[in-house]
Amino acid sequence: MDEFQSGEEASFVVDEVSSIIKEAIEGAIGGNAYQHSKVNQWTTGVVEQTLSQLTKLGKPFKYIVTCVIMQKNGAGLHTASSCFWDNSSDGTCTVRWENKTMYCIVSAFGLAI
Amino acid sequence: MGELGPDDGAGNTYSLRPGLQHRFKSSSVKECIHVILKEKLANVQYNPEEMPELTKSLSETIKDRLKEEGYDRYKMVVQVVIGEQRGEGVNMAARCFWDADTDSCAHDVFMNVGRGSTRHKVFSVLF
Repeated sequence: MDEFQSGEEASFVVDEVSSIIKEAIEGAIGGNAYQHSKVNQWTTGVVEQTLSQLTKLGKPFKYIVTCVIMQKNGAGLHTASSCFWDNSSDGTCTVRWENKTMYCIVSAFGLAI
Repeated sequence: MGELGPDDGAGNTYSLRPGLQHRFKSSSVKECIHVILKEKLANVQYNPEEMPELTKSLSETIKDRLKEEGYDRYKMVVQVVIGEQRGEGVNMAARCFWDADTDSCAHDVFMNVGRGSTRHKVFSVLF
């Protein structure tokens, strides 16, 4: 029995991934102010939560999730990514989130197997 | 079956796993990234108008350079983060769900005396 079908199941759905990321951010750093001692644990928390929810989707994808948390200080930050992949099946989703004291940028990349 | 070509008895030639020579080598990729970052960012000052273009062109340059290295069975993701140094705290983390045997990543950080610091990560995934 060929269970491994490509088609609608094997595509990167940006909205679904975006909502997973937002929930992970809210859960990990929702009402908190920037604290240097905790930021390490927050970034790993966001990333691990996002990754575990993505893998629960059960799609035939490999995932890469990155998270940058920056304190609001008037400084500028730029991120760019370029990818060498198959445009029809692979995708990316980036979510920018902020509160009064910090910015959080999470990028998730999904590569079809 | 004859349309597969002149090779007799070659059978399937699509390799599922890369040989040692074709593996993604983190250390040599890290060298490449380091050279490119040093060359492009040596005396650059942080300038909010120019930064978006610079960030994008850096990631394109690195991606193109890596394509030349010959990792043709690999998909690649290159991410560049440039920030202004003003004493703020920044933290970056990444996690990946992939095949640990064949896939890997390389990263490098470049800081200059002026006003910029770049964190740069390259991920590569075999397909």
